[in-house]
Amino acid sequence: MKLFDNLPIECKARADYEKTGQEWVFFFKPGVLRKAVQRLYKDGWFLEDLLALDTTDGMLLVYHFDKMSRPGRVTLKVLTSGTEPKIPTISDIYQGADWHEREVYDFHGVVFEGHPNLIPLLLPAEEDQRIEPPLLKTDKKRTGLKNLMSLYETEVCSAAVEALFTEEPAEEAPAEG
Amino acid sequence: MTRYPDPKQVGGDFYSRNFAKNARPDTLILNLGPQHPSTHGVLRVLLELDGEYILRAEPVFGYLHRMHEKMGETKAWGQFMPNMGRVDYGHPLSWNWAYCGAVEKLAGIEVPERAEVIRVITHEMNRLTSHLLWWGAYILDLGAFTPIMYAFDDREHLLDLLQRPTASRLTYSYFRFGGVSKDLDEKFVEGTKAFIARFRQRLPMYKDLVTDNIILRKRVEDIGIIDQDMVTRYGATGPVARGAGLAYDLRVSEPFGVYDRFDFKVPTQTTCCSMGRYLVRMEEMEQSCRIIEQALEQLPGAEGPHLVKGAPKPQAKMPAGEAYFAVEGGRGKVGVYVVSDGSKIPYRVKLRAPGFSNLSCFAEACQGMLLADAVAVLGSLDLIIPEIDR
Repeated sequence: MKLFDNLPIECKARADYEKTGQEWVFFFKPGVLRKAVQRLYKDGWFLEDLLALDTTDGMLLVYHFDKMSRPGRVTLKVLTSGTEPKIPTISDIYQGADWHEREVYDFHGVVFEGHPNLIPLLLPAEEDQRIEPPLLKTDKKRTGLKNLMSLYETEVCSAAVEALFTEEPAEEAPAEG
Repeated sequence: MTRYPDPKQVGGDFYSRNFAKNARPDTLILNLGPQHPSTHGVLRVLLELDGEYILRAEPVFGYLHRMHEKMGETKAWGQFMPNMGRVDYGHPLSWNWAYCGAVEKLAGIEVPERAEVIRVITHEMNRLTSHLLWWGAYILDLGAFTPIMYAFDDREHLLDLLQRPTASRLTYSYFRFGGVSKDLDEKFVEGTKAFIARFRQRLPMYKDLVTDNIILRKRVEDIGIIDQDMVTRYGATGPVARGAGLAYDLRVSEPFGVYDRFDFKVPTQTTCCSMGRYLVRMEEMEQSCRIIEQALEQLPGAEGPHLVKGAPKPQAKMPAGEAYFAVEGGRGKVGVYVVSDGSKIPYRVKLRAPGFSNLSCFAEACQGMLLADAVAVLGSLDLIIPEIDR
């Protein structure tokens, strides 16, 4: 997978497709996400879905991409602030992301900067009926990334991402977003 | 030019007001649904009309939203299974399979060969019921009443057969981690063989009476163009992608279960229009019959029980990790992504509904088309609203 070469990759790892359903897993900083997604679009990938994962390390945005010509899934992961999650939109590159981003905004309160129409999609829309994002975890249930997923076989990995997955209590989540 | 009536006076809900902000003053804003019969449930489409031509459209949904993903985070792994039959009433077994497959990947559960073959048989029979439901309802949308009676006649036979192992007729919760809940019996096998023989005689009749009917052809040909570029940009899958000439069928492209054993074709059409998607689904019904026939032949020789020994109990804990599993449902790619923290309750369950992505094409595809054609395009996307709203 050389698609993202010469982009600032936080982490590049090869996962076991048989066990996880993913072939490659990439970590990016929010600022690099759009460049990476543009490359995927030019290479003929399509967006399957995107979701947010509420963890003690922050809000993890997970983008699943797949290609029609061959099996193998590429997952982009972007870690952003847990208290005020913000991330650039990709709905101008993949128009299908428009609704997915509105759904994540509904469920987790993630703000997609530059989204043309960031209004509720599935939850009540009237101003006086809106509810708190329902999929945010309580402090008791929320846990760290290292308890939820593995880093797989890394080829490139920054110290900040590696620290998230090491057993010792990490100092602080890297200041991103 | 001032708009008449003034939106401030008329009111309307949040979406109407939001939609009216960008409207031209001389246009009409119309709500198609949520109670319109052709929207198959409670889909609402806001339309900006210039005469009878659509300038802009915005689907509004969520009226059937049940927050399955939140329910997933409050129930044990096995307890969430019945929800999977209720996401999509058209093709519930594909959701059964996607969720089971994801958990089996996560926990490394082996599925016996016999269970795999049973899964293929029931999954394909369910695809037939899904396509028959779509076919009858679509033609009904277009104004022809009789075909739905024929479709439901066939569908009734399938439901009678499927209820033997699954014990339900619509919202199946049949698959288990490591197999299926009940084995197929001799009556099921004989009945299915008889059904296929009967269905094979009826398919040509449907072609003669409906598919080749000039009224239908004039109505659906060359409308609702969704081409390959749109398919990629919106992530549309299933018959919508295959109607655009992309031979993308997960049963072949990313084989799951034992689908790689069977000989069948992936029908495609290159017209990108509603008729293309119609023809793809009609041909798929024949291909499903072929798969079922071959699978029934393999069933006696398939080894193992219908459920693996030591299959996890509903309250069992699953190892920590993440897994994504996708299957080819009647409407396209059904994907389930699960994240576990090692406890008996999932940390996150993400459901990827194919109808969600397919419907998102609609706003772009219907620009500049006649209002009456919009109904024909909506129907050709094969929408199941509970699946889109989840």
